[in-house]
Amino acid sequence: MKKIAAVLLSVFAYSVCFSQEDGTWVEPSKESQAYHEYRLKISRPPDGLEKVLGLIAKVASGENDNVALPQKEYMALSMREKLTYHLIHAESYSQNCDAMPPVPDEHKKIFAQLPDPFGEYSWSQRQANFLAANRDSAIALISASIQRSNRVGINYKRAIIEVNGREMIPLLISTYNKDHKDHDILTLLMILMKNNEYAPFLSSSSYKKLYADETTSYQAFLNFNTANEALIIERATAFYNGLPKKG
Amino acid sequence: MGFLKKVSTALLVLGSYCCLAQTPGGYVLVPAGSYRVGGQRHLLNPARQVTVDSFYIAIYETTNRQFAAFVAATGYVTDAEQRHDALVFSPGLREFEWNNDSTACWRFPNGVSMGGIENKMEHPVTCISYNDAAAYCKWAGVRLPTLDEWEIASRAGAATTYFFGDKKTFIGRYANIWHGKDHLQADSSDGYMYTAPIGSFQPNAWGLYDIYGNVFEFCSGKIKPDESPTLAHARGGSWWCSQASCSFFNSVDIGRVHKRASFSNQGFRTVK
Repeated sequence: MKKIAAVLLSVFAYSVCFSQEDGTWVEPSKESQAYHEYRLKISRPPDGLEKVLGLIAKVASGENDNVALPQKEYMALSMREKLTYHLIHAESYSQNCDAMPPVPDEHKKIFAQLPDPFGEYSWSQRQANFLAANRDSAIALISASIQRSNRVGINYKRAIIEVNGREMIPLLISTYNKDHKDHDILTLLMILMKNNEYAPFLSSSSYKKLYADETTSYQAFLNFNTANEALIIERATAFYNGLPKKG
Repeated sequence: MGFLKKVSTALLVLGSYCCLAQTPGGYVLVPAGSYRVGGQRHLLNPARQVTVDSFYIAIYETTNRQFAAFVAATGYVTDAEQRHDALVFSPGLREFEWNNDSTACWRFPNGVSMGGIENKMEHPVTCISYNDAAAYCKWAGVRLPTLDEWEIASRAGAATTYFFGDKKTFIGRYANIWHGKDHLQADSSDGYMYTAPIGSFQPNAWGLYDIYGNVFEFCSGKIKPDESPTLAHARGGSWWCSQASCSFFNSVDIGRVHKRASFSNQGFRTVK
């Protein structure tokens, strides 16, 4: 039985919004629209990328575009190629309400949750199991890819949560600090602190606003400003520094 | 409280007769006209006026009995039966997690190990895809409601988020939903963990049952013209939906799902 590691939360890839009163389509601000697209971009790991894309193209057609690679072909892939496959291709489906309606001024917000990397698709149980079973390798390969590209695609962020990649916090912070653009990295840091039940974060006002009320958490956000940015980074750094060091 | 409940029920029943007199064959007539739909702060479904032709909408969600008749008549094989990729739920899963059960299909909506539908013939059919629902409609000479038609019918004349107001306090009267704070523990507090027999909860003012909750109901149409051709939409939330996760049991939110995806909280209601 496969279990879908379905995405906790997602933002549907709509780049156009309605005006609220008369229903005519109105383009959101260019900044918001550009940031929306930016948030949804996935990273493509280099290992065996062309080969994997070729295999996916062979099995995908029309409404079958998410089908799983046949077991024989999948098993013939190297570990690195398998990781590439999982990171760029979701084999199963997302639930109807797994999409969060878009909000205006995305670039001015630090969201409680991350968008969905794959729209109406989700990683299958096989894919989630692979990431969990190959945690160290996944962290190493994703880290190398981030260092090369200075980018943490939404699929990488989801994978980091999946493997609880808390040792990547310094890399995430340094990547964020290069341009201070990807606020979802701040979201990722908070999710890691939350998932690891880091007490100073759980008792913070940020946590209360973003995660304490389960009925609003999927729409919650902090306003983006330098104070919130600095606070999240400071807390995440303290959390990382308090982790048991590997021998 | 009991008195208010009786008055409320009486008003709903009265409303269903006053507003829309004809209900032939289990359908309610929605007159042609201009209707208010959408939500004031909803970017995917903004408040606006739409005009529709008259249509009849089924009072109930399509049942296992009805779908079985379709399969018996046509030999139709659903997507889940072909692809063995239905997605089912059991308590203990994290929010938005579903299990892929290769044995699940409309005949065994929670997988073979959980039993069949022999005693659930009046429950809504589930584990069917958008394509399966469309095939049923073609056979039955009906169709799926458009996104606007579904919303007009769900509102039953109300301008609020719910047909009973803007607060979801009373949702439990009208809808089979998930009342637990998460999905780690089973929740049967309203009598049902999964689907309920159609009509188990109170109807809206036009006499439509289970318009919220029970199963997500497929609709035809797109939210924006250039969205993926593999995308389908469904509305009204389901037995799985809770206040914390997917509170889509209302008249404004619009779900999205792959056209070949088969979930055990996914069904449909027809119009003609």
